Order: sequence, then C-alpha cells, then structure tokens
Amino acid sequence: MNEFHLTEDQQDCLQELINIAMGQASDQLARYLNTFVYLKVPSIESVDAKNLMETLSQQKNTLAVISQGFFGYEGIRGEALLVYQEEDSGRIADLLGYEPDELSQDEQLIDISSILTTTFLNVFARQIDNQMSYNAPKLLPNVKDKLSEHLQQMPFSWDLALKVNINYQVTDYSFNCNMVLLIPETAIINIKNVLDRILAEF
Amino acid sequence: MLDINALISPENKTPSALSEQNLTQINNQIANQLNTGILVLDAEYNIVMWNRFLQVHTDKVANNIIGQSIFIAFPEVPERWLSRKLDSVLQLNTPSFCSWQQRHHLFELPHTRPITTDSEFMAQNCTFLPIETDGIVKNICILIEDVTDVCHYQTQLQKTLDELATISRIDGLTQIYNRRHWQGSLEQEYAKAQRHDKRLSLIMLDLDYFKLLNDNYGHQCGDMVLIEVSALISSLLRVEDIFGRYGGEEFAIILPETELSGAMELAQRICSSIATKPLTYKDHKIKVTVSLGVAQLSAEESNYEMLITQSDSALYQAKAQGRNQVCCADFSTSKPID
Repeated sequence: MNEFHLTEDQQDCLQELINIAMGQASDQLARYLNTFVYLKVPSIESVDAKNLMETLSQQKNTLAVISQGFFGYEGIRGEALLVYQEEDSGRIADLLGYEPDELSQDEQLIDISSILTTTFLNVFARQIDNQMSYNAPKLLPNVKDKLSEHLQQMPFSWDLALKVNINYQVTDYSFNCNMVLLIPETAIINIKNVLDRILAEF
Repeated sequence: MLDINALISPENKTPSALSEQNLTQINNQIANQLNTGILVLDAEYNIVMWNRFLQVHTDKVANNIIGQSIFIAFPEVPERWLSRKLDSVLQLNTPSFCSWQQRHHLFELPHTRPITTDSEFMAQNCTFLPIETDGIVKNICILIEDVTDVCHYQTQLQKTLDELATISRIDGLTQIYNRRHWQGSLEQEYAKAQRHDKRLSLIMLDLDYFKLLNDNYGHQCGDMVLIEVSALISSLLRVEDIFGRYGGEEFAIILPETELSGAMELAQRICSSIATKPLTYKDHKIKVTVSLGVAQLSAEESNYEMLITQSDSALYQAKAQGRNQVCCADFSTSKPID
C-alpha cells in the first residue's frame, strides 16, 4: 500500500463513475451503431505496473494494441491501451457500418478503439466536471514482442493502471476487448482528490 | 493539439482584455497563418469556412467553395467512408482521426517538399473535431497536417531496415544464406520436425581440392567457382529447401519433409551436375567436383548440432573414399565424433 493506491471508498466511487460512464457511452454507441448493444457491467481492477506486465504478457493471440493519449484539466491525463485478441476482430467493419473493402483491418481497429476510448472518457470526464483532449490513436508495431518494451518507454512513469474489461454483445456478432488506462503518478493524486471531493459531496 | 476554442475562451482574458473584435482579428490571422489546413463543415457536410493554407494548396476559388458539399468540392475523398466517419463525430461528440499510415492522404493537395516521394500528393494526418455552438454540435472542424517529411523519412527508414535484414541473412559473395541465418533455420526446422514428427534431411558438401584451385589460378578464380557452384545447386533445389554457405568452401542444405533416399538422390544429382558442368576462367578449363555427406533425422539425435555432426562425418567419409561422391551417415552405428 502506498500513496498511489486507492482506499476502498475511492475504489467504489471510481467503479461507480466508470459504470455510469460506460452505461452512457454504450447507449450512445448503440444509437450510432443503430443496433441493439448488450453490455455486460465492465469489470474494473486497478493493477500495479508489475502485475499488468504479467497479465498482458500471459495473454495469447494478442492481435493488436492501439494506444491513445488523453489530457484533461487538473492534471488528469494518461494513455489508453486497447488490447484485441485474434478471435475478437473478425467483423469490426460490419459493427462500424463500413464495407469491408473501404478500410484495412488496421484502420478498423484504430477506428473502433478511438470511438470506444473517446466516447467513454468524454462521459467519464463530464462526471467529474472535466473535459478531455486526445492524441491521434496509433497502432503499436509488433505487439507480440514489443508490448513490454512500449510499457517501459512511456513518456511518464506510472505505478497504477486501471484495467477495464469491455464486452459488447451485438445480436449478430460478438466483440471483446480490454481497455487499459495507464495513469501517471501525478494524475493519480489528482484523481484521488477529485474522488475525495465527490465522496465529500455525497 | 490545436485548440482554437481555447484561444478565444473567456478565461484567457487578462485585465487588459482585448475587445471581441480584436480577438476575432487575432484568431483569424492565426488560422490563416497556420501551416495546417482548416476546413469547417456544417451538419450537412457543406463547407462553411476554410483557411489560407487550403486556399493556397488548391486551385479552388474561395467564393465558389463556401456552401459547397465537401464531396463536390473535393471529389477525391471516399464519400461513403468519410460520411460514416463524420457521422460518428456529430453523433458521439468525439474527435476522430485519420493517419497517413492507414491512408496516405484524403485531399489531393500538392506537397511543397523538394524531395522525391512515392506520391505526388501531400501525406496527411487529419483530425475531425466536433465544434459546439450554443451547446449543440453543429459543425465539424477538419484539421489537415502536412506530414510528407515524416512519411518520406519513415519510408526510407523501413527500406533501409529491410535491406539490413536481407544483408544480415545473405552471404555477400554467393548470395545464398550465410552461416548464421542457415544455422538458425536448421534450429527451427529441427524443432518443427521433432514437434510434428516429420522427416528432415541434411546435406553437407565441400569443394574438392579447393586450396589447389586457389593456389594455381588465384583467389578470383576461387570466388568465381564458389559463385557458379552456388548458382548451379540453387537451380536444383525446391523452394522449401534451405541452402547456405557453411564456411569457406563448405555448403549445407536443409531438406524439410524429406527422407534419406530423396536426399541421397538429390545429392547424387548435385554431384554429377557439378562434375559435368564446364567452367572456364581466363581461357583455362576448370574441373570442379564436390564431395557430399547426407544424414536424416532419427530418434537418436537430441539436438540439431548432432545432425550436422552426422552429415559432416559422412562428408569426411566421401572425401576419404576418393572425393567426387556421396556418402550417407549410417545412423544405426553412428557415434559422436571426438
């Protein structure tokens, strides 16, 4: 336990905020995708740097990782990683409403990642009276060997990461991915302050 | 990231605050002097604003383009795909992106770089931003960044890396695989054969009396012979066979999914092809022969190096029996060589 770890109250509060954000985000997505989207309550865990490396490196068939930086007021910032498994990516073009020959698989993955990340984080930011800007999403090259390298070469040092498991079930196809929010130390302190403020108001 | 809204937000007002009019003038000038294209659309995707960057990079006249649909003004953009993308910006109120790595460019704009690139058009990173007015997203701002330099250098870098990867695998003289790559391939093929219980054979071969050839005709003659022999052997192989230069005048061939009899047959063909191939160097007729040793993977080997040892000892035997011939490792009686 160090100063970056969330208390039980803070963790509950964050979980609630994320649940609400994910609910609203999926509602927006369902409208955009024009199809019924069944969303399981996302499982959220905060993991430390060492554990994350272990979980991610154990995952087999990792097809792609898309990274996208986000920046808000009050020093809330970080990087979202969307991790896809080989079997989960067959029909993303369908899901997005594109014709398969209109865009490459890389672009499909980048597109859906950007939509998931920004829709979710926009709603989340609104919950905490904030507003986000985003970097262009990018596909990490050769994830099979380079993921741990990428995690070590982040532009900031981070101790805590939030792992959000997103699972969408759409009538005709299933879609799964893991969203990992890497948050730098200073931003964790800022998030804890925001959570404390919300808890105090509650 | 460029955020025009932040520039004009009231929080940025200092005590010596500028008038609305001055602020507008400043913002207009910044927008027009940016080295980034700005294109603003309404909810029907008609163009409502664009900046100088785009005006000077297209031949279009400002008066004609305002009010026009983006798909009419820029017929080169893929309409169905872009509509869907713009829909997401309006509906989800989220930014969207398009990188040169996935699409080299959206708009056919000439680039201003005096460098040779693969495309006559400017490589672009495009950002699509939702713009809220009175709390409702009614407009989309498209930012178009010129990344022709990045694209050019990235392409050059990739080309160089590919070249380096090739050089690190290929023997400079004979243009076949070098020892390091060949041995790595053998390790892989060995593991594959073991795992799937497949056959695997190996041929090691050595030019006969190569030192004499060098001594009599010089090293340039020796080099010529190495090149010719490599080319001749390459022409006799299947695509899946892995042919490498093992050392000086010694070569090795990995034959996946091949049993001993097949490998022997190939070794014989190589032996006779080389012996009957006339080579000339500076009007001298050069007679070249090779000795070959063949081995097949059996249950006895516990690592790939043992397979090399087996075929090497068969090669040694072919040399001892008078050269210009093929010998096969008798693996039932084989013993590790001291």
